[in-house]
Amino acid sequence: MHMSDALLSAPVAIAADVAAAGLLVAAALRLKKESRENMVPLMGVMGAFVFAAQMVNFAIPGTGSSGHIVGGVLLAALLGPWAGFLTLASVLIIQCLVFADGGLMALGCNIINMGAMTALVAYPLFFKPLLRFPASGWKVMGVSVLACTLGLELGACMVTLETALSGITALPAGKFFLLMTGIHLAIGVGEGIATGAVLLFVQRSRPALLMPDSARSQGKKGMRGPVIAFAVAALAIAGGLAFLASSAPDGLEWSIERITGSADLAATHVSALSTGAAAAQEATSIMPDYDNSFAGIVGAVMVLILVWGLTAALSRRRRKPATRPIE
Amino acid sequence: MERIEKAITSLQRMQGSGPESGLHPLCLFVITVAYLVAMLSVPVSAFTMLLWFALYPVVMAALTGLDFTRIFTGSLIALPFALLIGLFNPIYQTRTALRVGSLAISEGWISYLSIILRSMLSVQALLVLVSGKGFTGLCRSLESVGMPRLLSTQLLMVYRYLTVLLQEAVDMTRARRARGYGRRHLSMKMWGAFCGQLFLRTVARAEAVNRAMLARGFDGRMPRYQPVRQRWTLRDTLTLGASLACFALLRFVDISRIFTHLL
Repeated sequence: MHMSDALLSAPVAIAADVAAAGLLVAAALRLKKESRENMVPLMGVMGAFVFAAQMVNFAIPGTGSSGHIVGGVLLAALLGPWAGFLTLASVLIIQCLVFADGGLMALGCNIINMGAMTALVAYPLFFKPLLRFPASGWKVMGVSVLACTLGLELGACMVTLETALSGITALPAGKFFLLMTGIHLAIGVGEGIATGAVLLFVQRSRPALLMPDSARSQGKKGMRGPVIAFAVAALAIAGGLAFLASSAPDGLEWSIERITGSADLAATHVSALSTGAAAAQEATSIMPDYDNSFAGIVGAVMVLILVWGLTAALSRRRRKPATRPIE
Repeated sequence: MERIEKAITSLQRMQGSGPESGLHPLCLFVITVAYLVAMLSVPVSAFTMLLWFALYPVVMAALTGLDFTRIFTGSLIALPFALLIGLFNPIYQTRTALRVGSLAISEGWISYLSIILRSMLSVQALLVLVSGKGFTGLCRSLESVGMPRLLSTQLLMVYRYLTVLLQEAVDMTRARRARGYGRRHLSMKMWGAFCGQLFLRTVARAEAVNRAMLARGFDGRMPRYQPVRQRWTLRDTLTLGASLACFALLRFVDISRIFTHLL
């Protein structure tokens, strides 16, 4: 998922660099405020661990090929979201500066796409509320796959948005979006299984390492920042993609335009079935005639509320036994 | 296995380079960022304008005493991604941009070449920066201009322990291969146990490191181990000014057009 300088325009790259720098400063200040600076040696060595783990490939069943871990959710699960984000960002910076993996100007995009979307968004929203160690193997695997897949998919959405806003590649945003999300669905499942496998091993061998007091003490207050970040990111993605979908014709429309001289197919070609389907959609949709950007934002807010409500309900159910007074 | 060993070699090569001479690391960093901003802001349709930016890595490698062949070879690693994504440009942009004799070249091919060139030049600029100044020198410079201390310490810690943990991973991979009966890749279950074991070794090492650092008075900041701190000199100011002027010229004036008029 490493973005390259070649596909970014200067304004998009600079904006992403500034946003990533802001997130890094916020993470550093937060760790300092929580007096967790003594975690630096652990974070440093953990960064090196993730780097080394990325070099060890695992076999992808049935394909004959192999893959490797990214490690965002794993780091967040082991260190907490902010420390995990900072650690993954440092790995990305070293990958860029030492191994020329991803460009210098694209570093901000890569930190946001791979670091923030996994450790600051997917982990607090889809991992932490659903899983508390010790947990069964299936639960650890299921939640890891969910969080990693959604984290990588969000990253893929960001890659599409950044590429489309840059306008360097001529590949239409819609097609690029489908390509990226399709590929990252498979990668996300692999990443989730790999993350779950490591977490299960650690749970069996050294369970104390999975229950850092810091992760518990952050509680509800600690969720607020990442949740706001997610809301902003979701709105940006939804609004941006809807805007692009409305302003730039996709490949199919472009082909039709070339063939027929008009972006719309002639009305005579519309079948009775499609007319019926359109009428049914009109009757059942909440916003039958709407502006694309507005609909994108409303849709994202609805999904956000749904996911938020679902995770809140699940975490309340899970928390119930823990609230019993200890005698 | 090969990937890990290649990574160790790259790290060792990087540790060999350092800020012994030449420009101040911060000066080279600012020049690199200015170059990248100017180069990336050139429209992909203006290939001839972009071509002039290829001079920078050659000139800067010569000024800082680096082998440009190695820089050029290094820039090829990012090429497959640009080649793949850029390939859509000739497919979608079919309008003729220029004619060479009877051969019509489309806008898509021009922008495709631009994407390839952008990819190579950005990596070359990065390699000139890091090969010339070393990772440690860059971290120190960025810390002096406001990078949070926690982040720079974190970067230096990861960098320091990369070699150690990569060596640990090499040892474990070698042991696994010796008992693996020819299997190339680990199954997911084995991979989980392998990385879990690596993680436990990592934590044990981190605990030992933390105790050792605390015993030596660690206060949350990595000690400076450069005996003499490089100073910003008049040479840095002049190089920075000249570089910025050159980039502005290359960005805003189409030198190729001047040549066309002259010829």
